[in-house]
This record gives sequence, C-alpha cells and structure tokens, in this order.
Amino acid sequence: MTQVLLAIDTSSGTAVSVLVDGAVLSELYEDNSMQHAEHIGLLVSGALAKAGKKPGQVTAVAVGVGPAPFTGLRVGIAAAKLFAEGVKAPIFGVSSLSAIAFPEPLDDPTLVLTDARRSEVYFGLFQGKTIHGDPKVLLGPGVKKRAELEAELLALGIRYLTVTSQIKASSIGMLVLAQLAEGTAQSKVLANYLRAPDAVPAKAKKVSG
Amino acid sequence: MSHQLRPATETDLQPIMEIEKASFGNDSWSKPTMRAELMSPHTFYVVAYINEKVVGYAGLSKVKSSVSADIQTIAVDQTLRRRGIGRELIEKLIAEAVHLGASELYLEVREDKPAPQRLYESLGFEAIDKRENYYQPDGISAIVMRLALDSTKITEPVVLGIETSCDETGIGIVRGTTLLANVISSSMDQHARFGGVVPEIAARAHLEALEPTLQKALQDAGLSISEIDAVAVTNGPGLAGALMVGVGAAKALAVAIDKPIYAVNHLVAHVAVDVLERGILETPTVALLVSGGHTSLLLVRDLIHDVELLGETIDDAAGEAFDKIARILGLSYPGGPEIDRVAKDGNPKAVRFPRGLTLPKDQEKHRYNFSFSGLKTAVARHVELAESKGEKVLVPDIAASFREAVVDVLLTKAINACLDNDVPRLILGGGVVANARLREVAATRCEEAGIELRIPAFSLCTDNGAMIASLAAQKIMAGEEPSELGFGVYSTLAI
Repeated sequence: MTQVLLAIDTSSGTAVSVLVDGAVLSELYEDNSMQHAEHIGLLVSGALAKAGKKPGQVTAVAVGVGPAPFTGLRVGIAAAKLFAEGVKAPIFGVSSLSAIAFPEPLDDPTLVLTDARRSEVYFGLFQGKTIHGDPKVLLGPGVKKRAELEAELLALGIRYLTVTSQIKASSIGMLVLAQLAEGTAQSKVLANYLRAPDAVPAKAKKVSG
Repeated sequence: MSHQLRPATETDLQPIMEIEKASFGNDSWSKPTMRAELMSPHTFYVVAYINEKVVGYAGLSKVKSSVSADIQTIAVDQTLRRRGIGRELIEKLIAEAVHLGASELYLEVREDKPAPQRLYESLGFEAIDKRENYYQPDGISAIVMRLALDSTKITEPVVLGIETSCDETGIGIVRGTTLLANVISSSMDQHARFGGVVPEIAARAHLEALEPTLQKALQDAGLSISEIDAVAVTNGPGLAGALMVGVGAAKALAVAIDKPIYAVNHLVAHVAVDVLERGILETPTVALLVSGGHTSLLLVRDLIHDVELLGETIDDAAGEAFDKIARILGLSYPGGPEIDRVAKDGNPKAVRFPRGLTLPKDQEKHRYNFSFSGLKTAVARHVELAESKGEKVLVPDIAASFREAVVDVLLTKAINACLDNDVPRLILGGGVVANARLREVAATRCEEAGIELRIPAFSLCTDNGAMIASLAAQKIMAGEEPSELGFGVYSTLAI
C-alpha cells in the first residue's frame, strides 16, 4: 500500500509537506511567526493538492513538537491531532530541533539553535546518526541565553558547528520515517514547551490602596 | 424590512384568518377549524411576521406514534410573495418534522398551481399520487407529494462545533436544531491557585483535551466523523492563544473530512442555544451574557443577520468581579459559587455598595455598559476599614450585599434594554447564570415588566461547543456560505 505521510511543523513559521513512499511531493512554507492559525488550513489543503492526494488517502501524520514559542507550536500540533482523527490515521511527534539537524552530515558535534524569544535560544547538540538516519543527541533540548550556552560548551571543551537553518516539514516527515523504521516513533504527541507557564499564585486580598 | 419566523399562538388567529380568506376564498377554513388546528397537541404552526404584523403562516401535523407528518396548509400575504417567505416556512416545517422524529412528510397541492409545485420539488418533494376533483367546488385535482426525511441533510445539517475561547474545551454536535452531544473539558481546577484564568495554562489544557473531547462527543452522538456535514469553531472574542488551538484544529479537521468550516462569534453563539431547546429563536430578544470573560447586552433582531451589541463591561467582567471579591473575603476560586454559598446566610441590604454606571449622568454614554471595578474597590475598602477598626468582617453580609449590587446592575440594564427597544423577551447566557440570586431576581423583574425570560440549561449557558455548532447550523439552514479557510483569530472580534 502506498504510504502517504502528511508532515506539519509550526515551530517557526507554518510548514507543511506531503511525502509519498518517502519521496517529498510537496513542501509549503509561510514565513510568518504570528499567523499560524490563519495559514494552517490553506497549507495543509495546498500541500495535499500539490502532491495530488486527497485527505482520505493520508496514511500517517507527522508533527514537530518543538521546543518552540508556545502559541504557534500548539497550532500545528492541534491541527495534526485533529487531522489524524479526521482521517483515522496514526500520528507521530518528533523534536523540531532533530528535524533541523536531520539533513546535516553530523560528523562533527552540531549545535542547532532556534529563536526562543526573551533573548534566549532553544538548543540541541547532535553528533552522528542511527542506521536509519535519526540524529543522535549529545545535549538538550534546552533553552538558555546563547552566550551562556556557548560558555558552557567551551568549558566542556566541545568544538562544534552551529546550525540555524529554517526547518522543513519534509524533514519532520523523514525523521518520523526513520524512527518508524527503527521502532522508536512516538505516537504520544506532547508539546515540548521547556518553560512553565508565566503565572504567579494569587496572594489573598489587598485590592485597594 | 425583512421577515422573521416564530411559533404561532392563539392571538395570531385573527391575522391568520385574514390571509386565509384572501388566499383561499371558497376553500378557506372556518375560524373554529383554524383555532382547533392552532391549538391541537398534534400540530406545529409557524408564522412569518414583519414589524409584528403576521404576513404568512404554515402548519404541520404529526401524531406521536406515526412516522409520517403532513403539511396542513401554507399561505403568504399576496402582496409579499416571491420573497422566499413561503420557502422558509416550509423549511421550518421540514426541520420540525425531523425534530419530531418523522421519516416522511406529505402534502397536497392544487394541480393548477405550478409555482408551489416547483417550490416543493426544489425542496426535494416528489409527486406520488393524484386525487381527482379534490378541491371543491372548483373540481381541481390534488397532487400528493412526498419527502423522505432521512435524505434531507441540507435542511438538518450535522455540525460539529469547537469552542476554546477561555478555559473550557467544548465540542458539541447538533443535527439542525437537535442537540446530539455536548462535551466540556474544563481546566478550571488548574487555575484555582492563581485566582483567575491563566491564558497559557488554558491554552495548554485545550491542546491536551482536544482528542479525548472529540472522541467522547462522537461517541455520545453515536456518529462517526464521516457523518459530520460541517465543522464550526469560535474565532473570537476570547483569549488569542486559546482560540488559536481550536481554530488550527478545526481547520485541519475540516480539510481532513473534506467538509466546509464556519467561523463563529462566541457571543452570538451563546444566544443560539435557545434553538436547541425550543426549535426556534423567538426574535427580537435581548441577551444578557455574563461570564468570567464577558458582560454583554445584545439586541438580537435576527440571529444570523441582525445582532447588535448594545453594551458591555468597560473594565472587569462580572464573573471576574466575583472571583476578586471571593479572594478579598478569603473564599476559594471560582468565586461565583462560593459567594452564592455564603451569601445565603447574609443580609443583601447590610451594605449599600455602589451600582456602576447607573447614575443619571452615565445614562447617555453608558446606559447599557457595565463597570465593576468601583464596586470591587468599595468592597475592599469596606473590609479594610472594618479590619483597621478591629471590627469583625461579616462575610455573609458583605457577600450578599456585593452579589445584590452586581445582580441589580445586570438586571436593571437588561430590563431597560428590553423596554427601550420594545423587546418582550430576555435570554440569559454565560457561566454566571449559575448564580441563584441572578436567576431569582431575573424571574421577578421580568415578570413585573411583562418580559418573557429564557434561561437555557446550565450546560448550555456555560461556554460549550454545542452553541458553536448550533449557530453554524442556523447559518447553514439560512443559506450562509462557509468561511474561507484563511480566516483569523480575533480576541476582540466584533459582532
């Protein structure tokens, strides 16, 4: 049976790709980090149309679970979850940082950095790949000030390449295929926020004054 | 002027008879026959009206044990034909027949009247028989037409509604005006220690709750996802990050099942629950929506085409005020039920707290607006003053007096809105409707003012997906086009 994989990632902009038996047939991206809710429907339907596939033909859904700014990240995961429910297909979540590392050679330690806002970065340090191509994690994922992170890596004596490439939804798809082949694919899809919600427990009383 | 529909009452008999006589002449029913028809427990009559004047009517007959229903009659004022009034009347009867569990609907039409025959055909009726010389004394034959109701999906769309504007993940399913499922997953407990809804916590909870809530809703409705005709979702007003979860999910679901999507206004949807309980929304109506996020007065002349925001809170929502005062009084979250609980033993007249924006000077600009921040401060000052004097803070009295002030303002303004606009009915919505005193005072004041009060079941008052589905179903039945897939999320979406 033909395998039709719909891959979604909203860790930066909105990215959607359709892979048919491992071949990337469509790859759409909207580079707006504020309008995921606007773009997601059009991109999902557009990516399917471009790949010449009907929604009902999708056999699996892949989604990037971050770490990433929360609000946008959730749009992609929410969309992937209910798309999967709608077509009764299994869903798999993968690290958005691993997906950025995926196309890199990873012969040397490679530091993947993405914007975490509040002058911090989300990071993952990768080196080497499994037999099916899943990047091996040395460190992370985490969130820190970039200078702090670099100082720590220096202290550890690690020499590394830095990658800040734009994520591709097709890499999310490829990564899920690699993990499926390896038997490590995650069907429990949880957003990886890395930060607790900003909220302070309420103090009693004193409103006026 | 556009027309509207409502169920017929006995007081409509006179205008109905005038149209009956003008339309059917020799064939028309007598007044006693018509009265018996209107009053029968086995019939459903609906009238179309413009500016209170009845301009058309139609009736359905359905015996409880029978699976078939009959359209008894239909007539529209001769000067107002070809405006789609007749079609709407018939569509309403079709919906009602389905609602009553009929699987087929019959009618007879004069053979010499091609226009109504075409109308019925366009609605899916098929000619199945002919009765010679049926209409006397003219000797005209009747064509018997039949509509199989299980195939009338367009008139009774199955809509799945998703609501994520605040702290409730709601997924509801309706078929036309019939409620099939209403599943709510609330993150309220997670907000308790913060004393109010934390947007980020609410948004995270929505993402976790989506799939189980959807599965439960489908299970309750006894439907598979492929049986859904349309998806609806709240796109505002509400918490932006929370709304985006629902909108992203709803869009992908609509694409997945290849069905249209309808973006729905949360506030208007609160009013749309009435059709789930009564089959029809009687208009015009004023709606008072009171929750932790909203305090709004709406004037609804037509649910789809004519909803006006008369006023809203200029600072805190009423539910928010309850939460904050509960905190001041050392009560837990959410504050509404807690204040209700302790106020039972308190004197509502113990302290005369201020009624925001009710002074004569506020009447021009803020007649229908609300403000609760002054009240909140007044309660806080009162408590602090008592404490500084070493007096005992009488929590039940303060809670009762505070609650009385809130309820007084809400209903004074709501009743004014009804009277000023000559609207004989008021519908309540929003979570604060759970407040016992609000319901009690609403009943008394409406009775005094001769206003009909509607309070939907609480599961439909609080934020829920069924109300979203219901409004979208009304839009579909009114022939509204679906939303474009690229629609946005608006935390302050206008009506």
